Amino acid sequence: MPAQPLPDFSTSVRLKYVKLGYQYLVNHFLTLLLIPMIATCVLELVRRGPEELISIYNSLDLDVIHILCSSFVIIFVLTVYYMSRPRPVYLVDYACFKPAASCRVPFATFMEHTSMICEDPKSVQFQTRILERSGLGEETCLPPANHYIPPNPTMEAGRAEAQLVIFSAIDDLIKKTGLQPKHIDILVVNCSLFSPTPSLSAMIVNKYKLRSNIKSFNLSGMGCSAGLLSIDLARDLLQVLPGSNALVISTEIITPNYYKGNRRDMLLPNCLFRMGAAAILLSNRRRDATRAKYRLLHVVRTHKGADDRAYRCVYQEEDSDGHCGISLSKDLMAIAGDALKSNITTIGPLVLPMSEQLLFFFTLVGRKLINPTLRPYIPDFKQAFEHFCIHAGGRAVIDELQKSLQLSAEHVEASRMTLHRFGNTSSSSLWYELNYIESKGRMKRGDRVWQIGFGSGFKCNSAVWKCLRTVKTPVDGPWSECIHRYPVDIPEIVKL
Amino acid sequence: MDVLTTVTIIFLLYSLYLLYKSYKLKCSTNCYLVDYVCFKPSPDRQITTRKCGEIIERNKKLGLAEYKFLLKVIVNSGIGERTYGPRNIIEGREESPTLDDAIEEMDEFLNVCIHDLFVKTKISPRDVDVLVVNISTFCPFPSLASRIVHRYNMRDDVKTYNLSSMGCSATLVAIDVVKNIFKSGKKSIAVVITSESISPNWYSGNDKSMMLGNCLFRCGGSAMLLTNDPAMQAQAKMRLKCLVRTHIGANDDAFNSAVQKEDDRGRVGVHLSKDLPKAAMRAFTENLKRLLPKILPYREIALIAFHIVKQKLVQPDAKLNKVVAQINFKSGVDHFCLHTGGTAVIDAVRRALRLSEYDVEPARMTLHRWGNTSASSIWYVLGYMEAKKRLKKKDRVLMISFGSGFKCNSCLWEVSRDLGDGDVWEDCIKEYPPKTLVNPYLDKYGWVHEETEETFNREERTEAFKNSPW
Repeated sequence: MPAQPLPDFSTSVRLKYVKLGYQYLVNHFLTLLLIPMIATCVLELVRRGPEELISIYNSLDLDVIHILCSSFVIIFVLTVYYMSRPRPVYLVDYACFKPAASCRVPFATFMEHTSMICEDPKSVQFQTRILERSGLGEETCLPPANHYIPPNPTMEAGRAEAQLVIFSAIDDLIKKTGLQPKHIDILVVNCSLFSPTPSLSAMIVNKYKLRSNIKSFNLSGMGCSAGLLSIDLARDLLQVLPGSNALVISTEIITPNYYKGNRRDMLLPNCLFRMGAAAILLSNRRRDATRAKYRLLHVVRTHKGADDRAYRCVYQEEDSDGHCGISLSKDLMAIAGDALKSNITTIGPLVLPMSEQLLFFFTLVGRKLINPTLRPYIPDFKQAFEHFCIHAGGRAVIDELQKSLQLSAEHVEASRMTLHRFGNTSSSSLWYELNYIESKGRMKRGDRVWQIGFGSGFKCNSAVWKCLRTVKTPVDGPWSECIHRYPVDIPEIVKL
Repeated sequence: MDVLTTVTIIFLLYSLYLLYKSYKLKCSTNCYLVDYVCFKPSPDRQITTRKCGEIIERNKKLGLAEYKFLLKVIVNSGIGERTYGPRNIIEGREESPTLDDAIEEMDEFLNVCIHDLFVKTKISPRDVDVLVVNISTFCPFPSLASRIVHRYNMRDDVKTYNLSSMGCSATLVAIDVVKNIFKSGKKSIAVVITSESISPNWYSGNDKSMMLGNCLFRCGGSAMLLTNDPAMQAQAKMRLKCLVRTHIGANDDAFNSAVQKEDDRGRVGVHLSKDLPKAAMRAFTENLKRLLPKILPYREIALIAFHIVKQKLVQPDAKLNKVVAQINFKSGVDHFCLHTGGTAVIDAVRRALRLSEYDVEPARMTLHRWGNTSASSIWYVLGYMEAKKRLKKKDRVLMISFGSGFKCNSCLWEVSRDLGDGDVWEDCIKEYPPKTLVNPYLDKYGWVHEETEETFNREERTEAFKNSPW
């Protein structure tokens, strides 16, 4: 006779309290152990009385040499210990590019342009359907060159867009932080699809007259997760250079990448990618600890390139007419889910509280040894993080992650609203999302943020930040003029 | 008291353990070059001067002035008859390169070179922790770093970085990334891949400043394996002592000396301005200012300081040229790996550092045999020195490279053991140095200087060229 399925206890209130109690017990285990020990010690000391303590001290027969040597040893060991610890990396502040209203591409404009540029009516129809279901709003922006009919993707236009978005973001950051360009020690720029000679990092060195001994790096082709890669590189460098700061620029230049052909899998980027950039100031200086907004706790990188399907799922190639474009495979969601699982396996033990880890461990043991049909336990990441910034790659990505991580609508609100207001700005989208959370006044001291980025290759990168000071509203940034209108309800399909 | 003694002993033991851990971490911060492999393309990709001439003839937009200019450049370039080009240019498709052409060019390099590197070092791709790729002028999506991870089935926690557009000095930028990652102390193995993509970057117009690239750049690449694991010290070839990077992009002339842009007809090419040599020298001087204190012996530094002070006291307003002229650069360096940017670059550095012909011979021979392979050229130069058995234990090798932006990067290696692996130079090292580096076509193309616009008849010349015994 088949076993009766267990009643669904999870909704039972009593079980909820049991779970809460269990979590509290396990997570504060050491503290709970320490309290009785300290109490015993204090009682013992009080019992012995002060005279006995003094006689014990005298019997030790310590003279000056002993005290000096032991103090020296203690201080020396403590110094070595503190110096060998990894340097903390602080995020002093960041600024996102706020596009001008003249660059707006409402649905009507997009569809009109598409129907005038595209010769194949089926492609126009396809792009309309994509836009209807995309989750994008009417205020997303494309660079000036893409407003031409047909778009005018020259190198000069590409450079103009790069200068517009990057320099605006850096100027904002300088205003916010009082940063002196001459004090920048490390510069990391990531821009996947536009790589002129000299590099974008050299362009920034030239414009802001940075020092000649600056360590600059220009990363390219690394996809929408490249922002977190740059943070990882900056962090590695900050571990090695004491008292330095790093400027990280994440952007995507849209101008040279308009797809002129008719292949459906390559038309998606035209519909989803929009203009954006973010400039982030990181530092390892102790004096910046007081004014920094966040501290970097972990960066975890996962690369699924070894797998064929994962490698080919976001792929740049030429179609049969010789037009270059980026094809997105139908497996994208499944592959993203897979990459995320690998990433979680590494990041879980670093961030999850002991209670979740034990539950996961016991369920795993149970599945392997006792009953393989036991449902795998998905750790509750809401216990490890207060805020989530999921790359606004598209509506489907956000839906998929909400489901896998069992997040509520409020947790993914930042991602959805960023997709609606700014579109898919590639690697800088995580920073627009963080700015949304701050603008809503939700970021409090001690809150932990999990940024997840996906990119071609296929990569899944995560960064974990801890908020060091409550961010007061109003926040100066790309959301300052429209935050009061958000959140908006985004319908499944917007009829065009 | 026993409790107190026990606690003290435990504390002391723990302190000793901490000290030991810190010491071990310190030992693992060195950067060792385990081995490197240079790329030798297949013989059917060789470009002779004659082939160059044919390729130039195909460009119908060129008038006599451009023709003269190009042939002069090729014949005076110091580049020999056995350099390599990409297939699409050899097959006549240089004006319409496809994405597949560029990827094919890269695949030929990646599939051979990296495989050879793993075989030589006996390291499995699954052991690689860090992968840094720098290929300046070609940036597909997904990146070439991902392509390598895919091709060699690397682990999913491998740290990849794909550097781009950083010019001919990018290989040292990649080494800088690796060096800094190694300083964390965690034992890792890093692979650095350096190359340049020629096929998508052919300039099809007639702006002279943009045509130089067409004449000088050739196909090549190299793959390096580095580690900070002290256990691999015995196997390593060299140890990195210092690395200095200089970026003078703040100066507008230097920044604009090498710019990729469209000409007035909308064709993309890399414009090399007349200020390029000056920018290079400025960057080089800046770099030397920071490099010399790190590489010269204390005695030499003291001597220089003494001369500077003496001059300042005697003639406070005079320039320091005399002092600079007295610096003995060779006191701190035994071998010089110069970027083979062209004969002008090699001569300029030779003059600045007062080197002998023997010192710059590896660079000149590399330029002759392989052409300007961009960032990977310094590895071919190193290969020449190794093939000639010049590298002995404790020798110091200085690598200097220049790149757009404008950058000058340099690093000093210390050789760990006597080296003698010929690698790609094995089959031809006996022919070097050749009796003469003069281009055999110098006479043949001498007619260019006698022609004028009126007398220049392209079709006649093309026919004559085709029918010639060459």
